[in-house]
Amino acid sequence: MTKQTLPNTKPIMGRIIQKWEECEDTFGFLIDVPVKVKGAKPGQFIMLWVPGVDEYPIGIAGFENNVLEIGVSKMGEGTEAMINKNEGDLVGIRGFYGKPFQPPSKVNHLIIGGGFGMTPLKLLTTTLMQREEKEKIHIFEGARSKNRLMYLDWFQTLHDHKKLNFHVCTDDGSYGYKGFPTVALEDFLQKSETPSVIYVAGPERMMKVIFDIGKKYEKVIDMQMSFADRYMRCGFGLCSYCAVDPTGWRICVDGPIFNVKQIEQIEDFGNYRRIETGEKQRI
Amino acid sequence: MELETTVGSIKLRNPLILSSGILGTSYSTLQRIYEAGMGAVVTKSIGPRARKGNPNPSIFALQEIKSVINSVGLANPGYKVFREDIEKLIEKKIPTIVSIFGENEREFVEVLEGLKDLQILAFELNLSCPNIEKGGMQIGTDPESVSTIVRKIKSTTITPVWVKLTPNVNNIIDVADAAVKGGCDALVAINTLKAMVIDIETQLPILGNKRGGLSGAAIKPIGVRYVYDLYENFGEKVPIVGVGGISRGEDIIEYLLAGAKAVQIGTALGVAYPENMIRFFQMRVKKYMKEHSIEKISELIGGAHK
Repeated sequence: MTKQTLPNTKPIMGRIIQKWEECEDTFGFLIDVPVKVKGAKPGQFIMLWVPGVDEYPIGIAGFENNVLEIGVSKMGEGTEAMINKNEGDLVGIRGFYGKPFQPPSKVNHLIIGGGFGMTPLKLLTTTLMQREEKEKIHIFEGARSKNRLMYLDWFQTLHDHKKLNFHVCTDDGSYGYKGFPTVALEDFLQKSETPSVIYVAGPERMMKVIFDIGKKYEKVIDMQMSFADRYMRCGFGLCSYCAVDPTGWRICVDGPIFNVKQIEQIEDFGNYRRIETGEKQRI
Repeated sequence: MELETTVGSIKLRNPLILSSGILGTSYSTLQRIYEAGMGAVVTKSIGPRARKGNPNPSIFALQEIKSVINSVGLANPGYKVFREDIEKLIEKKIPTIVSIFGENEREFVEVLEGLKDLQILAFELNLSCPNIEKGGMQIGTDPESVSTIVRKIKSTTITPVWVKLTPNVNNIIDVADAAVKGGCDALVAINTLKAMVIDIETQLPILGNKRGGLSGAAIKPIGVRYVYDLYENFGEKVPIVGVGGISRGEDIIEYLLAGAKAVQIGTALGVAYPENMIRFFQMRVKKYMKEHSIEKISELIGGAHK
């Protein structure tokens, strides 16, 4: 092992030691990181370099004994190239970047996600389960149908062992509650008495809906949401291609996790995102 | 202690300017950096139309030399879209220098025509980007093209025109001379150095565009040398803005001593807390001035030419 430490290096080449189909169009990867690195915090991300193809931000699902777990969904050329990689192949990693989720104590933890937004939420769940305070953890996961639910077995097993409550939703009713996780969340909030913190990662439109729901309930004392699903170049605060208005915050270093007070100041939230040119596009 | 400086007719509250291409994609990041204490800001280079730039990886750090390699390739939304951001900066009274580029004289003039009615502090002509095929450095290494473009632009606008020079030439004085003959109001030196990084495991160049430009601490001695040479050649005849690898307050002093009236800082601000960095730069500059009984920062300019 070299002494080099992340972040802020060129891509460090890691070998894929395991690859599996997590759900439809989505693969999980375990990557051996050959450099001594401090633990990843939930909500942080890496810049993943698929050599010769592309580099983009990817959420961290787990990091233990220098083995990194990520989940990649087919979204375009870059993600498809990653999905076509196999055990033994090398990929580049920069990171761990960004500010993490900061879960407070003595609250219900309501974790909501969809699509491959579930990756950072998996690490968040792991971290919360390891804490000494045994607070209630509720997972609300949504997908179009059963075959598109990420970490289904993992969450279901933890639910069965009463480690957490898994509220699983599918649009077509092929598994769990038929409907959106946002509806399941609101049902829950109406019945619950305990102060809660909401954590979200997923499509920004969904985040906006959840934000509006959360604002209605005083018992929701904070909402922490991941903006990592945006276009980035550097990942460490230099280029500002991920900046949001009017605050001038860079998603990569000032985020990607923002709390409710911060999100209220981001006018772009749920409205605009930047594309490669730096231009804003309606969400 | 007086930090005020002038670049030609332009007065700045202090000599620290945000360099082009860093934190310059939105009015909001530029505003944030100005409010943290810079003297002025330079926008991302803006061209005639939206441009996607080069594929990722397009920026990463080289920790071992405290530097950054990039090949963004002038990704920008085009002047028609970016105009709104400039308007917001001017509304907030932020001294804004707009970096512009084009593949040829016609494109430069088009961008300039589209923005020249705004109360911009200066236009900075990017004649030095190493990361595009046409325009950029290709123009900036040819003295004749430089003087033609600068002359044309000077005849189009009354706003001061700065020319950003590339270090990737045999003799920077030839190009600088051409810019001065064309009538430029200040020389900005230097842009990034041509560079490349190859991953030895996959045996592939890492940048999406393969080749790129180097910025950061590693290029500071090169920038200082160029500023020194330019000052020796032009003296007080044309103001010089020093840029390249400033990462400490002491580096600012060094550039001023070499002959710069102001400096631009970029790569060093690519950190989690750029505000702290700016405060730190100012603190160190003031400390130096105090220790050396310097009342006005302008006393330092060109001080190394003895």
